[in-house]
Amino acid sequence: MSRKDKYRIALIEPSEIIAAGIASIIERHPDFVVEQTLNSPDYFNTGSDIDIIIINPCVIDYNDRFDVRTYFTGTNAAIVALTHNNLEENVLRQYNECIGTYDNASRIIQKLKNAIEENEQNPRSDINELSSRERDILAAVAKGLTNKEIADKFNISIYTVISHRRNISQKLGINSIPGLTVYAIMNKLVDMSDIG
Amino acid sequence: MSNKETIYNKRMKVADLLASDGNLLSILQRLDIRLGFGEATVADLCTRYGISAELFLIICNIYSFREYQPQVDSLGENDIKSITTYLRASHRYYTSICFPTIHNSIHLLVKELDEVSRKLIDKFYDDYDNEVSNHFRYEEDVVFPYIESLFVKGDMKKYSISQFEHNHSNIGEKLNDLKNIITKYLGEEYSNPLRFELLNDIYSVENDLRKHSLIENKLLIPLVEKLEKQYEQKG
Repeated sequence: MSRKDKYRIALIEPSEIIAAGIASIIERHPDFVVEQTLNSPDYFNTGSDIDIIIINPCVIDYNDRFDVRTYFTGTNAAIVALTHNNLEENVLRQYNECIGTYDNASRIIQKLKNAIEENEQNPRSDINELSSRERDILAAVAKGLTNKEIADKFNISIYTVISHRRNISQKLGINSIPGLTVYAIMNKLVDMSDIG
Repeated sequence: MSNKETIYNKRMKVADLLASDGNLLSILQRLDIRLGFGEATVADLCTRYGISAELFLIICNIYSFREYQPQVDSLGENDIKSITTYLRASHRYYTSICFPTIHNSIHLLVKELDEVSRKLIDKFYDDYDNEVSNHFRYEEDVVFPYIESLFVKGDMKKYSISQFEHNHSNIGEKLNDLKNIITKYLGEEYSNPLRFELLNDIYSVENDLRKHSLIENKLLIPLVEKLEKQYEQKG
């Protein structure tokens, strides 16, 4: 397999020891290559052609723990959790697979293959449609709430609000607040009487 | 592609210029050039209307060729006034011809809508209309007089052209939103011919506004900056 045919991986793990360990295990296998090693999702380059994102859920802001996909819109990559300890089941459900630090090499590879397969079988058909969270946030924008107010209302970080808003505008092709308001009312996300 | 490498030149007949690119028609329209000019060349017509032929060709090139990069080396003080005159004429063209046509189509289209959507789109458009008028008024009342005053003694320090770029908000954004709302989110039950007509008008004014900002950003601003520098050096 040439480098081009390999599954390309982005590894987001703050511990250098663990990152180096996982990378060396993965790269022993001919089908996988680690393209990026980062310690925060903020540095993830969405333009890159990545097949699997392996991420330690600890690097996600606690308030955003159920919204890991908002950090990686614009990519169809499978997302795999890399956990050092036990995490809430609800948090792990959004990942395609979960690798633990006690998994051996063959199990890690198996899990990566499962993740790819599962991701291909369940394409996110909604990639161009608004998620229910995005619809809620759009309604709040139309009602005239600020980013800070929206963050408080949904108990998420401002960073996530901004990233939701960017995704909403990208999906709809509508950037201005008045334009978004028109959309929200036409689609009955808010009532005309709610608009200030 | 620079000024010298393009196919347009002063000895060309204006009729041939138009034949090669119909989009140039709107330039003549906003310069109030009367049709029926027979075999007049670019040079003839520009002399008759008191327009710099060189500047006229630069503007034609901006409209016709996407990759064209205007150069300000050969332009001087005298051209500034011609550029602001052209930009003012352009504003008039938008506000008296393009936007009323769009507004009219929107009025006809929203007649078919329920009251809520009608009010909404009407308001959206009215707000946009205001925003654009304010933008044009700001340029005509503040920016252009400053630029023109650069050549009159003593009125130099109030303003610098570098501020212009900050104030130069993107008025294309809302047009783009409107386009997407009409294309994607007004249901199939609404009049198709009307919508196509409206979208055609929006696309064409959008394109024209892009050229308009290009004239401001790539021609007017660099030229004024060049002159500002010359004045500073003179002290």
